[in-house]
Amino acid sequence: MSKILMISPEKCIGCRTCELVCSFTKINAFNPKNSRVSVFTYDEAAVSVPMMCMQCEDPSCMRVCPTDAITKTADGLVAIDERKCIGCKMCVSACPLGNITFNTYEGKVVKCNLCEGDPKCAQYCPSGAIEYREAAPGTMGRKKVIAEKFSELFGEVNE
Amino acid sequence: MKVKFFATIREHTGSREIDVAEQGCGSVGGLLQHLCSLYGRELCSLLLEDGKLGSKIIVLVNGRNVVHLQGMDTPLEKDDEVSIFPVVAGG
Amino acid sequence: MMFGWTGNLLRVNLTDGTIKKEALCPKDAEMYLGARGLATKIMMDEVDPKVDPLSEENKLIFMTGPLTGTFASSGGRYEVVAKAPLTGTIGASNSGGHFGPELKYAGYDGIIFEGRAEKPVYLWIEDDNVELRDALHLWGKNVFETTDTVLAETAEDARVACIGPGGEKMVLFAGVLNDRNRAAGRSGLGAVMGSKNLKAVAVKGSKSIKVADPEGFMEACTDARTKLKEHPVTGGGLPTYGTQILINILNQSGALPTRNWRDGGIFEEAEGISGETLAEKYLVRNKGCFGCNIGCGRITRIPEGKFKSFGEGPEYEAGWALGACCGVGDLEAVSKANFICNELGIDPITTGATIACAMEMYEKGILTEEEVGRAIPFGDAEALVELTRMIGLREGFGDVLAEGSYRMASKYGCPELSMSVKKQEMPAYDARGVQGMGLEYATSNRGGCHVRGYLTSPEILGIPEKLDPLVTEGKAGWLKIFQDLTAVVDSAGICLFTTFAIGLPEISSMLRTATGINATDEEILKAGERIWNLERMFNIKAGFTAADDTLPPRLLKEPLQSGPAKGKVVDLEKMLPEYYEVRGWGADGVPTAEKLQDLSIG
Repeated sequence: MSKILMISPEKCIGCRTCELVCSFTKINAFNPKNSRVSVFTYDEAAVSVPMMCMQCEDPSCMRVCPTDAITKTADGLVAIDERKCIGCKMCVSACPLGNITFNTYEGKVVKCNLCEGDPKCAQYCPSGAIEYREAAPGTMGRKKVIAEKFSELFGEVNE
Repeated sequence: MKVKFFATIREHTGSREIDVAEQGCGSVGGLLQHLCSLYGRELCSLLLEDGKLGSKIIVLVNGRNVVHLQGMDTPLEKDDEVSIFPVVAGG
Repeated sequence: MMFGWTGNLLRVNLTDGTIKKEALCPKDAEMYLGARGLATKIMMDEVDPKVDPLSEENKLIFMTGPLTGTFASSGGRYEVVAKAPLTGTIGASNSGGHFGPELKYAGYDGIIFEGRAEKPVYLWIEDDNVELRDALHLWGKNVFETTDTVLAETAEDARVACIGPGGEKMVLFAGVLNDRNRAAGRSGLGAVMGSKNLKAVAVKGSKSIKVADPEGFMEACTDARTKLKEHPVTGGGLPTYGTQILINILNQSGALPTRNWRDGGIFEEAEGISGETLAEKYLVRNKGCFGCNIGCGRITRIPEGKFKSFGEGPEYEAGWALGACCGVGDLEAVSKANFICNELGIDPITTGATIACAMEMYEKGILTEEEVGRAIPFGDAEALVELTRMIGLREGFGDVLAEGSYRMASKYGCPELSMSVKKQEMPAYDARGVQGMGLEYATSNRGGCHVRGYLTSPEILGIPEKLDPLVTEGKAGWLKIFQDLTAVVDSAGICLFTTFAIGLPEISSMLRTATGINATDEEILKAGERIWNLERMFNIKAGFTAADDTLPPRLLKEPLQSGPAKGKVVDLEKMLPEYYEVRGWGADGVPTAEKLQDLSIG
């Protein structure tokens, strides 16, 4: 069974260390705008949520790619082959979560590539909000887990 | 003698404060041994390291840190108040 | 091309509305590092230390450090610097959150504000596009309303630093608040911002910060982060309980100043306002500033009752000032008052300490019910909350309180009841029971303050060494090192709390690999000493003398009546001359010509 990035918003302290280390890993400089992970903070609900490519089981980006540049690898990664990518940005429109973007600085389509099996965001997350581990068994999709966590969190604050 | 617990120490003791009869623990070292027998190994590993005062705790006797008194040999009497903290900071 | 630093400054003249981009002088950057140091250097070069702090001749500087916005743990800080209206000293107050890093991502190390706008304005920075915008519609809005409105008008992912009504009305201890709840809180820099009719600064950036030796820098940062994670304080106590955890240990040590420092250092209701109680009853979630792997912030909620509210904090100093110092043991009231301080943009330490001073004056019959508009005995939770609000709005008697305890007490002929140094209220450590802190308060370059040389750490908490709090020997030497190192930390752009776990070697290593400067650890510490001496020179030129390096008579003449420090006063007479000597200053407290030359100041 392959490992996945598990997000636990209830543990996130909103420090954006993941954005920093991700940008450094990708562009060798610090710039959250070039990070493949973004932390969204909702002050009213007192919650922060790190968001990155969920490496979908049935990736919309892969389906719309006209050059087959996007593939799903055996170990669960949705990978972009830069040699095949023509920069048409169809995948950017297709991703329902907005987790694949065209980066003007790098001049290419970018998304989380799990740091080739050693995701730095999970390694440096100080609170355990991002973990890289075996997917939990069961039929419930990760997205559903997160959605439920969301509703719990919002429910808690809004009473 | 009154012994007060603070912060994470309370997770081990389950109480904020206890009364301890002074017999058998006439010194800080004796008291810590006594607390080990009351609360078990986990707390004990914080209180004592190789029989010495733990490095991750602060023990006050009547408000004075025992390291500025006589350490583990600091004598304890009936009316003394002992406070035990994990190392903390802030400001 | 500079590394660590962006190499650019913004100069905004509010009088004529001009905005200029300037190059940062690399030599100044190397000598003064950034943030607190660099901004003080600019103040010294450009502003007469004798100016009226609220006049248009004063300047207001927002400055980041070379580690701000990088992977250095807790590198989310920036400093606000101006001549301070509360003290008349150099004012430097720093804050975390996300604003400082965003300023660097927009491509600037700092902003220098000059003059005074004719009408309220705010500054909007989006990389190279910088404009002053009308802020008339924001005037009167609190910090949260202002932040929300500015975000709606600029970009939802921008970062905002602003003042509340406190700053607008020039409450002498108004702060600058960023990211809603983070404050450059002390000394009244928000009042300077208000005097300039500058309501807010919003920034959004898309540029990168490059470091000189990426691999070495990541190694240095990872080493520091590992040490922070593994240290029982930064990896355990602070994340678990936040700063409010200190209430009980200071109280048990007999050094928690109670009822305007009148009733000694033991507050009988301390448990009620402690970090333990906060965590048990009101904590919603922990919060970290940008890039921080400590995460001491607390999001708290008072779920019901007359103090029902939601916000951040209180932090230890605020919790003490609004709690023990006012004799209030109700954490719900203390939290509510603290939230009001954030909303209205005022410093909770001086707010609480000034209310405490008024409470003592009331109990002595110096202030009457008619004068204040209500009875204000110690321990009155409702009075605390109401007076806090009145201060922020300068409403009724709040107008008198808004001048701080020293000016208020002087007005009624009892300045000795103001527990302040250089007119700024001292924070939460009774120096009669923590002798080194007495010397720290007396010599701090911004008056009564704990974050210029936090000797509480070795004296009470035993970090990095265990010093006896009741002893004076050696404290001067320790204080010098703490003050110099703190100046380095503040100027680098990281959080002082990192120093519970890391020290000069780790910080120097991050600075060298980030910026490429070729400086030894000793030379970097010397930059801290240089910054300290430059601040001192600013104050001397502003008219301060050794006579101002003193403490309220209560600490020098009234011995503590109970607790471990029973019978003690602060032995300042002994420590101060030793301190001047250790500093290489004359007996008059003025840095000697040789010292200044050695530090290349002048």
